[in-house]
Amino acid sequence: MAAKKKKHTKALRKINGTVSSASASQLQAFMLHVICGLGLASAFWVAHNVYSISLISDPSQTLRLIWLVEALIVILFYSLFRQNPNECSYLKAVGRGLLGLPAGAVMNAFGAIVLGAPVHIHYFRKTLDWSLLMSVFTFVPAASIFGSSWIDWQRIFAHTKPIGCIDYMICLPAHGAVIGAWFGAWPMPLDWERPWQVFVLLPLNMICYM
Amino acid sequence: MASILYFRRVLFCSALFLLFFISLFEFLTDFDLERTHTPTESLNLTMSSLTCTKLTLFTVIAVFIQIIGLLLFVLGFFPVKSALSGVSGVESYRPPGCSSVQNQNVTTPISHELHRSLYRELSEIPPLFDRLILMVIDGLPAEFVLGKDGKPPPKALVEAMPFTQSLLAKGMAIGYHAKAASPTVTMPRLKAVVSGAIGGFLDIAFNFNTQALSDDNLIGQFFRIGWKMVMLGDETWLKLFPGLFTRHDGVSSFFVKDTVHVDHNVSRHLNEELNRTDWNMLILHYLGLDHVGHTGGRNSVLMGPKLTEMDEVIEKIHLSTIQTRNIDNERTLLMVISDHGMAENGNHGGSSFEETDSLALFIGLRNYYHASASHITAHQVDIAPTLALLFGVPIPKNNVGILLMENFHSLTDDQQLRALELNSWQLLRLLEVQLPDLACGSLSCNVSGDFHWYHANKCTGGVEEMFCCLFLDAAALHKSWKSKKVAGANNRDDYSASVLAYKEFLKTASQWISRRATNRPIGLLAAGLAVMVLSCMLLLRLLLQLCREVHLRKEPHLSDVNNNMHKGHLDQTFVLAIILILVLSMGSSSMVEEEQYIWHFVTSTLYLVLLRKTIQCIPPGMVQGSLGAIRGQNQRIYIQTCSTIVILVSGRLLRGWHQGGVNWTHLPDISKWLEQAGSAHIKAIHLISCLLVISLSLYTLSLLSSHRNFVMVVGFIFLFPGLLVLQHIIKYNNSGFAASSYGATLMAQIIYTILGIFTLVIVIALPWLMPVRNLETCSRPDLYLATDVLSDVQSKLLLGGFRDSTYVIGWVYMFCWCLLQLLLQQPINSMPVLLLLIQILASMCYYSNSDLHLKQWVEVGALYYLAMAGHFGLGNTNTLATIDVAGAFIGISNHSTLFSGILMFVITYASPMLVLLSMVMYISLKDTIPLMNAQDVDFGHLLKMTVGFPCLVPLGLNSIFLVAYTIVLLLMRNHLFVWSVFSPKYMYVCATTTCVFIGAFIVASTGIYTCMVFSFRRMLQNSSRNASQERMVSG
Repeated sequence: MAAKKKKHTKALRKINGTVSSASASQLQAFMLHVICGLGLASAFWVAHNVYSISLISDPSQTLRLIWLVEALIVILFYSLFRQNPNECSYLKAVGRGLLGLPAGAVMNAFGAIVLGAPVHIHYFRKTLDWSLLMSVFTFVPAASIFGSSWIDWQRIFAHTKPIGCIDYMICLPAHGAVIGAWFGAWPMPLDWERPWQVFVLLPLNMICYM
Repeated sequence: MASILYFRRVLFCSALFLLFFISLFEFLTDFDLERTHTPTESLNLTMSSLTCTKLTLFTVIAVFIQIIGLLLFVLGFFPVKSALSGVSGVESYRPPGCSSVQNQNVTTPISHELHRSLYRELSEIPPLFDRLILMVIDGLPAEFVLGKDGKPPPKALVEAMPFTQSLLAKGMAIGYHAKAASPTVTMPRLKAVVSGAIGGFLDIAFNFNTQALSDDNLIGQFFRIGWKMVMLGDETWLKLFPGLFTRHDGVSSFFVKDTVHVDHNVSRHLNEELNRTDWNMLILHYLGLDHVGHTGGRNSVLMGPKLTEMDEVIEKIHLSTIQTRNIDNERTLLMVISDHGMAENGNHGGSSFEETDSLALFIGLRNYYHASASHITAHQVDIAPTLALLFGVPIPKNNVGILLMENFHSLTDDQQLRALELNSWQLLRLLEVQLPDLACGSLSCNVSGDFHWYHANKCTGGVEEMFCCLFLDAAALHKSWKSKKVAGANNRDDYSASVLAYKEFLKTASQWISRRATNRPIGLLAAGLAVMVLSCMLLLRLLLQLCREVHLRKEPHLSDVNNNMHKGHLDQTFVLAIILILVLSMGSSSMVEEEQYIWHFVTSTLYLVLLRKTIQCIPPGMVQGSLGAIRGQNQRIYIQTCSTIVILVSGRLLRGWHQGGVNWTHLPDISKWLEQAGSAHIKAIHLISCLLVISLSLYTLSLLSSHRNFVMVVGFIFLFPGLLVLQHIIKYNNSGFAASSYGATLMAQIIYTILGIFTLVIVIALPWLMPVRNLETCSRPDLYLATDVLSDVQSKLLLGGFRDSTYVIGWVYMFCWCLLQLLLQQPINSMPVLLLLIQILASMCYYSNSDLHLKQWVEVGALYYLAMAGHFGLGNTNTLATIDVAGAFIGISNHSTLFSGILMFVITYASPMLVLLSMVMYISLKDTIPLMNAQDVDFGHLLKMTVGFPCLVPLGLNSIFLVAYTIVLLLMRNHLFVWSVFSPKYMYVCATTTCVFIGAFIVASTGIYTCMVFSFRRMLQNSSRNASQERMVSG
């Protein structure tokens, strides 16, 4: 874990050296990620100790708690790094982030369902909460920072060509979460009859996020 | 350790074979694929290295050697047991091969009583018992009762079974370590116990629709002499012998965690049955011990109490048999056996000592000679002949076991020798089937007592001679002993000599036959594997060469396309990654069982990756793009995005249609939901999908912009069989009895005929009839002077004709296949057929709009993956149980294995075949004109560029999977699930290979035929043009 973080910072430093127009310093980006990580950890802690629920016993509740906490942190903090801060107020960036949350959830839910997530009224809440959480990691930061700038969206998500610190701040968690979720789905068909198999995807994407 | 060595040996041998083949190959052919071409080299050189003929030739060779390799491997891995059909009768009491017996083959039915007395009279051995209690303790290792290597079992286990141990100690019982053959799972082992035969996997595969044991067996023999039989316990017995039991109470082995109720359900009837006297055989099958093993392993804390429970049952039965003996003078044999042992963790199925060490315990005979020798080793198959002779029935025909002589010591010397003789005759008959040259059976009739055949030296020579010699030795000794006995001189030495001779023969014969049944010849396996690897390498090399060539061709063209085409190759990487993922996942039994998840997951991901690639191509100035070119590109991207989403959504529906797999079949899915909703809904869906298939197909046909009228005629011709299928659905479906009625059969036959004839006629005639604007339309005099231009235009027109006709032929193939599927598949599967068609058409739509964004092999590969995902979407799994047997009899009036086999194949491989047939349409979609040298249209080259990928990519992919799976099967041959999971999967892999071969053959032959017709037409046109030109000049 520590090694990963180190690598991460190294990468950021490299970017910062080459790209001068980055409006966020490497330290700021690092702090942001630390805050997000802490938010995640505290959400888990609260779920575990205050409500005494976990991903296995009550996935829907836990996921809801996590995404609520994360969404708050992500929207508030990422909005600070919005593009063109002169033309776009902080509140507008927050609003964009809030709009991006359901939109991203729809996209993520589409992806998950197409890849085989169950479509049943029984699983509806779980899928909803999961896609909201994924949206917090993938869509909301980009929505807060870029708004509806298609070129930037295409650069980050279709080409995966981040330029500068801010791009990396969006790109790494988003791709980490998606790839982590994708790999997390692999152990599901194994018949080990372990309850964590179903929810292995979340811890994994957390790891990727870190 | 031994298994690793074996595997290494196989690999080593196959590597040797491979080296040999490759060197031979390189020597024989000047196959210079290795030559590296730098892009700066002239194009001509590159082209000459792989001509169309060469490509075809090498592909055919590769396919051919793949077939040979597959055959070799299958023959080596699944040895075919040559089982004798029929049931042993009175002839088994006469020596084999004597011609006089053949005439007396009485076929008139005889009553049970007559059978019994006839057998008793002919066998010359009085039955030692009247009643049999067969107590099967599932999964009990013999070690628990008899100990290992001459040592008694652990103290705890001895104390757990006090009664049984006391019986053994007093010599009232005799126990054997009965070695079971692999696979050590219940059903094959029960078959071995009752029939004495060792079955091969192919027997299981070929009898997938009937579970009943049709071979000669003890239960059937007992039934023939009129025994009343009662069965309590595992319901496997009921599946094996339906209708033979007078009373039964089957329990299911489904809940492995239940260790109490399964046994209670057996024991609750015990008191009642023991008090009754109306049965001759009582089978008790206790599953509890196996369940204890599965949940807690061999040393589970529940093991002791379970053994005590079994011991109490044995005690109860034994006491009651003594009672009946005293009252009715009926002699009862209690036989305690286990079907297999268990490994340290409680699982079984493999062939380790712990798993094969099963028990055979005879209780009821008095005074055994070797009471202390309670650790005699035997084979599980030896139980069958022993029981047969103890109870006076013929030994089952396919038995490979030997008598357990210790049970016959109460008989006279004469009778004991007779028992050995009967066993030898039976084995000799079996040997005669395996070795047709063995002819000592007839000799045995003429062996005279005074003739001293006996050799003091060892029998040597070939297999046949050795068996002959051994058998005749024994027969001669027996005869001489008999004649001496008649003379009054009872010689003990002669007796033991003939017993020894018989035992020698029986042992050799039994070992030889059983080794033949389970032996996997290394040479065959290695040669098969090597040949398959070779053909796989050949195909991949051809593919690589073709790729390189296309790439070089495209290079000048690509240079002016904008730069971002070269960047992202995620799609190509992912197509290759899918191969790796699938190959790796094949090694896990649960992944093989649940393969549908993997295919669906990777296919959906691939299309999501393609979606991402499409989004990459959106130009930055999309919104304000006012130029015509950009607008056109936008429209293209729009179509691509839509078709990808259509593919993804219908793929998701397909996945949801059948839950599939093995472990999660109980989960809800759309098909279950529809079946609950009632048959009216299903019928409606069937009709709707049929209508939609027809209209969608007609719409697709109308998309061909040129020659609209001509194409519409074709469409209307094919509307006719479409309507027939529709009528068949309306009239006959949904009513079980009507589906097999005469009318339905006739109609299905008419539909088959019409579809077959129409397709054949259209495919043959279409390239000739396809209107190409010929000389009249473009024969304006001003063009006559520019011959070059004219020929160029003409070539392009002919090329257009080629594309149009492949489009129509591809359409015909797909439409006919879909109609056939709508007729044959279960009504519930009609919607998946429609969804598959939609997916394929959407893919076609996508590919026709992406000229150079995607490599051709990526497109064909994606289609292939779609086919496999669709295969599982239709409800197929990797077990043989999901093959639709009922559908295979639609339109067949009398039973024909060939036709129903073909229909079964058609139903099971609906999806891969549909995709392969759609490749013909795919050929027409690729814009080949920029690839062509405008000056001369070389049809051979055209063929290579168009047909090459659609044929080679499926062949290559399939060969990779085949080779990988062959290696997996070799590695897993001692795995617990080798017979239940891996071998059925291998059957499917073989069938898929066949399917790909057929599909590729159809694609290639259609392409070649169409091409040849068009080149012929061009020749005709050229000659006619030359003639008219000459006329012009002369005029």
